[in-house]
Amino acid sequence: MKKNIPNLYVISTTNQATHTGGGFLTRQIKGLGRSSAITSALLMLVAMLAPLAVSHYFIRVLCLTIITYMCVLSLYVLFGMCGQSSFMQCGLWGVGAYITALLTTRLHVPPIIAMLGSMAGTGLFAFLIGLVLFRLKRYYYAFSTIGMMMVLNGLFLNWTAGTGGALGISDIPPFGIGPFQVRSGMANYYLILAFATGATVMVWMLYRSSLGRSFMAIRDNETAANCMGINSLITKDIAFALSGILCGAAGALFSFLSGYISSTSFILSTSQLYLVIIMLGGTSSPAGALVGSLIITLLPEWFRPLKDYMMLMYGMGIMGLMIVLPEGLIGGGKDLYDKFRSRRR
Amino acid sequence: MTSLEVDAVRQTKTVLKLDKVCKRFGGVIAAKDISFEMFAGEVLGLIGPNGAGKSTLINLITGVYRVDEGNILVEDTDITRLPAHTRALKGITRTFQHPHLLQRSNIATNIYLGTDLARKKKNHIQASQQQELLDRLLQVSGLNQDFSEGIGKLSYGEQKLLETVRAVLSRPKVLLLDEPAAGLNQKELEKVEALVQIALEMDAAVLFIEHRMDLVMSVCHRIAVLNFGNLIAEGTPIQIQDDPVVIEAYLGRKRDA
Repeated sequence: MKKNIPNLYVISTTNQATHTGGGFLTRQIKGLGRSSAITSALLMLVAMLAPLAVSHYFIRVLCLTIITYMCVLSLYVLFGMCGQSSFMQCGLWGVGAYITALLTTRLHVPPIIAMLGSMAGTGLFAFLIGLVLFRLKRYYYAFSTIGMMMVLNGLFLNWTAGTGGALGISDIPPFGIGPFQVRSGMANYYLILAFATGATVMVWMLYRSSLGRSFMAIRDNETAANCMGINSLITKDIAFALSGILCGAAGALFSFLSGYISSTSFILSTSQLYLVIIMLGGTSSPAGALVGSLIITLLPEWFRPLKDYMMLMYGMGIMGLMIVLPEGLIGGGKDLYDKFRSRRR
Repeated sequence: MTSLEVDAVRQTKTVLKLDKVCKRFGGVIAAKDISFEMFAGEVLGLIGPNGAGKSTLINLITGVYRVDEGNILVEDTDITRLPAHTRALKGITRTFQHPHLLQRSNIATNIYLGTDLARKKKNHIQASQQQELLDRLLQVSGLNQDFSEGIGKLSYGEQKLLETVRAVLSRPKVLLLDEPAAGLNQKELEKVEALVQIALEMDAAVLFIEHRMDLVMSVCHRIAVLNFGNLIAEGTPIQIQDDPVVIEAYLGRKRDA
């Protein structure tokens, strides 16, 4: 009897539903575990101080890195949690960017409303597309997302009346609320960082919710999930819509940051890159998305002289990684850490 | 259990009713005109040689396979055409012959899936009630690992027990156990029996597929025998034990010398 108590304690703290004591935030932090909480806090501190130490150019690189991270985070929700790969995340990112661009330049909507419009619009778009795409399963579904990505890119490029065609949309105003305008690179950085942090917290909460569990049930065993009362079509579609909302937010931030968008940014190879990033970092946690994004977007900056060989190195690197660390850097690192700890004992 | 006591159990309400259910896979008849009822608080044993259609029957009841002909009713609601997840919400929960757990998730997540289902079915279930049930199930099943560990840390027997715990935790009306004791040692068998007992206390109707006759005889109130997709006998354990048709199905026909 007594032996059971510590374990039940574990159960109580990791489940919001059965845990009664403590505030909401306390429970979330408890669930995170002490070492992860410290790591997150340190990371946040570094992220807050980073722009003070680097050049203007590098701040912009960091902004784009975090936007990429948000797109990869959306892929974590869809692929890492729900097990549905997607080659159209960059397309959803584009939908978000175009919605904000159109709302602000044509309808002169306040930026914050445009931002919310991007999130809601992209989420809804993903939901409707998902209703059709998720009638297909496994690689049939994956291939159909490639098709959808091409359709979206074609739309961005050729629908001149709607998206400006090859000219794109310019003069997108910066983000701002009332008199407060986000113009400088550093202000944009903190804006993007705030949204990315918010998104990460949301995804973490999702991971611990019953909806998150139903995603993981579908990823691990769809038949068993159905038999536990989970509707696979709707649940996958909700995961897709949530990833759409994240991409929509990232797209809006990109529009505000660059002030100009065109179809050349929203291409299939970027979607593939997101998949590469999440495979590199690991699909088991948001940390994988972060580590992967940092490596893939920052390494080319540091190894600029080797630029011509970059794709070769990516390719070789990914093949090697799949052999040595199939769970990605975070998953593989965890395994190594566990091995190290058990050896020390 | 005497037959009088069995009759007393029979007085309780019908939870699940199969009416002339048929299923064919190409030329193979997996279920032919199967009809039986399951009652609240009663264990129905389902036995039969390998390939007799036992697991198929569970797959038909849970909606993993579509029924070709016939009807399945839960408490007078026809569920024949409903998809699997809706049937689960109507109170049908199952386990699989080989445990279908979330392999990449930890033990706690696997357990909560049961609670999630219970809460989806009845919103008024309180967290404390569910925790109480969970405490009891864990104590009975003897699962006392670190629940943040992955499924891989559990032995095969523990995985099967965990799946049964998850199923009972969802507070099912109909609990379908597909060989919950296969590959388990004697100690774990007793735990399975105890888990079934808890399900019965909550008025579930339990379908119990098992090969070991001693276990079937001790756990089940009633037994149905399948052979080549046909329901060849149904009755109390004692009736079944002496039924010549059943003996023939299991041991083969005696040759006239």
